[in-house]
Amino acid sequence: MSTLLLEALRNSAARNPGAPAIVWRNTKWSYADLVSAAARVSNVLAARGVQSGARIALLMRNSPQYVACYYGVLGAGCAVVALNSHERENVLARQLEHSGAELLIADRDHVEFEPLRRLAAEQGVAVMPISLGDDEHSQSLFAQEFGASELSWAPAAPQDLAMIIYTSGTTGRPKGVMISHGNLAANTAAIIEYLGLHCGDRGLCVLPFHFSYGNSMLHTHLAAGATLFIEDNFAFPQVVLRRMQDEAVTGFSGVPSTFALLLGRCRLQDYDLSSLRYITQAGGAMPRPLIQRLRTELPSARLFVMYGQTEATARLTYLDPADLDRKLGSVGKPVAGVEIQVCDASGRELPPGEIGEIRARGPNIMLGYWRDPQATQQVLRDGWLYTGDLGHKDNEGFLYIDGRAVEMIKVGAFRVSPQEVEEVIAALPDVEEVAVTAIPDELLGQAIKAVIVPRAGKKLNVLQIKAHCREHLAAYKVPKVVEFASSLPRTSSGKIQRFKLA
Amino acid sequence: MADDLREQIRAFILENYLFTSDPDALGLDDSLLGRGIVDSTGMLEIIFFIEEQLGVKVKDEEMIPDNLDSVNKITNFVLSKRQAA
Repeated sequence: MSTLLLEALRNSAARNPGAPAIVWRNTKWSYADLVSAAARVSNVLAARGVQSGARIALLMRNSPQYVACYYGVLGAGCAVVALNSHERENVLARQLEHSGAELLIADRDHVEFEPLRRLAAEQGVAVMPISLGDDEHSQSLFAQEFGASELSWAPAAPQDLAMIIYTSGTTGRPKGVMISHGNLAANTAAIIEYLGLHCGDRGLCVLPFHFSYGNSMLHTHLAAGATLFIEDNFAFPQVVLRRMQDEAVTGFSGVPSTFALLLGRCRLQDYDLSSLRYITQAGGAMPRPLIQRLRTELPSARLFVMYGQTEATARLTYLDPADLDRKLGSVGKPVAGVEIQVCDASGRELPPGEIGEIRARGPNIMLGYWRDPQATQQVLRDGWLYTGDLGHKDNEGFLYIDGRAVEMIKVGAFRVSPQEVEEVIAALPDVEEVAVTAIPDELLGQAIKAVIVPRAGKKLNVLQIKAHCREHLAAYKVPKVVEFASSLPRTSSGKIQRFKLA
Repeated sequence: MADDLREQIRAFILENYLFTSDPDALGLDDSLLGRGIVDSTGMLEIIFFIEEQLGVKVKDEEMIPDNLDSVNKITNFVLSKRQAA
């Protein structure tokens, strides 16, 4: 059985307490610092009378404080509800309510902090505001806010709930993926194994920790005793590249748009990236020319193309870099402990070459969707996770992704449910009906398009629609294109034909 | 001229990221990233806007927050580039 995260962190701290664990802006937290800060959080929760099994929500950007809170919540025997810091107050409030969180620990400088605090108070959720110091005083500030650091962590069992990640759903029905301690431990161990992560590694993370990919990058580095550099904004890719050079970074992970941004405006050969040992890419298919360019510009770094989903903690498969040329376009084979099949609608496994739904089983598959047994039953059946992705295997067992069986838009690496965007637009009084679909986007892979039928005699304008969406949705969910029509294309049975909207 | 440029830049950001024409929605020194107004792809679009609409080439090494993270910073950057040209 894999080592659970708390124990893995403690092991890393015992082996090398002074080694830097998390580096963010002008602050550096060692493993000993991190364990002690996490213990402070656990103690505060215990002092507040929070019982084990309670959910504790976190709303903060990537920072050492987030990491300390995360491990502190686990140490208190509670589960982390990692809120998406890009979301707006209304969505956050609904997720908070749905999770039944007892306490929200939130960055007091977050743009949604004040409105969310009011909404949390209405729900009876206690709020603990914290400051994210980013200089040499960050730890004393944290200690002031959280107090004593005697370590007394509650032992966790593999099947215990460790984390809830809210993924794309409708606004009225949030979808919280339940990840257990065992899930995290198994996926962390599998990823460390194929990447060969060790305590000498220095990873640079631009991915948000509250999503599964960033979450896995965080835990794998801590369990390996490595150093993780947080770069919380990718708007200036050359600043990131300079940091990679100056810090002799050995590992970097991104989604296709990360690499499109990196290669789009920067000349990688202008930087000394010779320390870069590996690059990982997940979060959707990356165009082959981009893969080729990345390999040409970074010939010494091994490129891992990977596939996974939140419901599988993070990772399901990876393509060994040694097979990249031979199997370009494939997402490889299952990670250790995972089994993957391609099946037809009746659940029969399909032979190589035939396209069907991808299903997976293994110790990393989620416990289910929080407080939604119906949605859980739809995807967890007969011991398998039905991914909703379409794919096929070749004769050697390499997996290829061919699309999605479930309607979902992928903007960058973010899954967006068309229904969620439709619900928000439909709330405008002058909208008769609306349908949302994906359109191709050079940088992000897909972008969102909304087609709206206004009520008779009413006029709407594009800015008004986008402003309304921006007020109620995360920025990446705002449609890039808004069009008006007199009717929507439908099948004879009345179902909207989204593919005709693009 | 600087004022016209400033308002042109502000109007572009208001229309494309805040979806309004109300100038009060965006202070001239507001951090575009700090306020969550633009993300990484938005910043790339702003750079395209500077190059295509304002006729100023942005070099790799010039893509830094000091040049691009507010209306005033972008205005000053564009003016200094035009003067140097």
